[in-house]
Amino acid sequence: MMKDIFSMSLDAMRSYKIRTFLTLIGVIMGVASVIMVTTAGNSVSVFIADQWNIFNPTGMVIGTGTNGTVPQLSIRSPVFTTTDVEKIQQLSSVKTVAPLGIVPLNKILIRNGFLKWESRPGQTMYASTPSLLEILNLSLSEGRMFVEGKNEVVISQNVVDTFGENNPLSVGDTIYLRRVDGKTLEAEIVGILAQSSALNMFNTLSAPSIICPAIPYYSTYFGSNVGTILKRVVAYTVLLAEAKDTTQVQQAQEQILNYLNSGSSDADQYKDQSNDFVVITQQYILTRVDQVMNVIRTYITAIALISLLIGGVGIANIMYATVTERTREIGMMMAVGAKRRDILELFLFQSTVIGLLGGLTGVIFGATGSWFVVDLLNRNIQNLGGAFSMGSIPLNYAIEWFVIAWGIGIITGIIAGLLPARKAARMDPVAALRYE
Amino acid sequence: MTQNIIDIDSLTKIYQTGKTEFKALNNVSLKIQKGDFVSIMGPSGSGKSTLMNIIGCLDRPTSGTIIIDGENISSVNDNQLAEIRGRKIGFIFQKFNLMPTMSALKNIALPMVFIGNSKSEREQRASELLNKVGLTNWATHRPSELSGGQQQRIAIARALTNNPSIILADEPTGNLDTKTGDQIMEILVSLNKEGKTILLVTHETSLKRFANRTVNMIDGKISEDT
Repeated sequence: MMKDIFSMSLDAMRSYKIRTFLTLIGVIMGVASVIMVTTAGNSVSVFIADQWNIFNPTGMVIGTGTNGTVPQLSIRSPVFTTTDVEKIQQLSSVKTVAPLGIVPLNKILIRNGFLKWESRPGQTMYASTPSLLEILNLSLSEGRMFVEGKNEVVISQNVVDTFGENNPLSVGDTIYLRRVDGKTLEAEIVGILAQSSALNMFNTLSAPSIICPAIPYYSTYFGSNVGTILKRVVAYTVLLAEAKDTTQVQQAQEQILNYLNSGSSDADQYKDQSNDFVVITQQYILTRVDQVMNVIRTYITAIALISLLIGGVGIANIMYATVTERTREIGMMMAVGAKRRDILELFLFQSTVIGLLGGLTGVIFGATGSWFVVDLLNRNIQNLGGAFSMGSIPLNYAIEWFVIAWGIGIITGIIAGLLPARKAARMDPVAALRYE
Repeated sequence: MTQNIIDIDSLTKIYQTGKTEFKALNNVSLKIQKGDFVSIMGPSGSGKSTLMNIIGCLDRPTSGTIIIDGENISSVNDNQLAEIRGRKIGFIFQKFNLMPTMSALKNIALPMVFIGNSKSEREQRASELLNKVGLTNWATHRPSELSGGQQQRIAIARALTNNPSIILADEPTGNLDTKTGDQIMEILVSLNKEGKTILLVTHETSLKRFANRTVNMIDGKISEDT
């Protein structure tokens, strides 16, 4: 009998084609927008996670700042010495450590035919060791890594074109680097970094960049009066390290902090008393990025769910109108033996089918629409250029939301239909038959 | 001894609108025998429609008892009432009251849906009845494509679907011209001859010639019973 009442519901929906169609649109839009929003959110988080992942899941940044629930790095005070780097390298869970010092440049110059010098505005240069490449997952497309102590540098692809596309720098060229303190140092280009889609400081913070050995380029000498002798040491603001494997990240972090805080480290003596040592792991950054993405996603999903709610109100509205319009028919069905339950089912089936069908169509529209949304995002990213110019957002469907949105569509249909259907089922047959 | 198919005893129905009470039926007692053709007559507001609604199990009395075909319907719940209505009563209305979106055949089969007959049973029974009212060729037509007389014949067929013992006809000729109305009445007469108990509610005095008993009502009471 339920089957017969169900087919009566379908018949009724077929008789009110336009009305059914318009009600469906509400649900379709709601479900589709939920799917588009969640898929876009999912795609963007996967994209960002991928970008960060290239800077290796065992990686961490060591610096000074404030330790708290949200640790903050300040990269202002150079405190880490070469001894610290060596000591950290010896810790059991640490695989590699590399220092990072900033060498601000005024100009990059080349000797050029009749014109003796041609100069370009300077780029930020980073002083480090060859281990840096490994930690940052960078590789060389040409040449080799510099040798420490020699006048050799490695440049990024962006620096290659500094002197115009017709006059690119290449391995073997000599450039002259004018530091902000006025000193000009000669450097041979020994390697060129391969283009990387990694979202790391070498192609985001300062896109064209140069990596050099600390000696002879890095000159941040630190005045110290430990004991009575004034020492001059090379000190770095930041160290980059990587743990032996992903299971040892936390251990490595603890070992590094223990060493730095032990009192035997140079950094502990040079550090400002109000500052803490801070070790931020890649995993922590990923968690933070994820948390932020989740907050954003929750908000936009909530907004999309409101449109589904509006779809539900649409169903309820139409169902009320239909019930009122069919009052006499309801009375007539009761007169020929329909029970209240039969009438309830008759209308509830209609709204459920609308939720079911609208939800399914919405899923299809949402899946197609997501493709356009991600495409649009990618176009916008291309227009931004610079930092994000490499790589595009992959389409990553939030499959679980297909099911959730469809389910909510169906539930919306049932709930929206419940009150009108109850109204129909509770009608007094005498009054219903007399209804004009 | 003849069997009373309808046995009404001291039936009262009071409608309450706000603080005012309206006594639509005032202590009515009535016995109708199986196979009777009774016309219930009276001006509007006399209580004849209320009486028919209670006999038709669409409404409940305020007090008094009513036994339909052996079942005391004064004390049953909504579901049981719907069940009795579906099986024992066939309704014919002035305005036909067919389902506008259903074909003639489906309209006739509708009462069988609610008692759970299979589709093939329903279609067979509906075809038989369509044939009985002479509209075999109109099976797939919707009510809007049929004349008033044809629609009322479909309604009669629908009233017969579950083979009820009582047919309640409420002004069945009210929306029809005299000639068509007489044809409808002839069908009711022939159904009566087949053994159906027929209750005709009307205010058209000319129709009482078809009945073998006339009950007149005024102000919620039976004023005359011949």
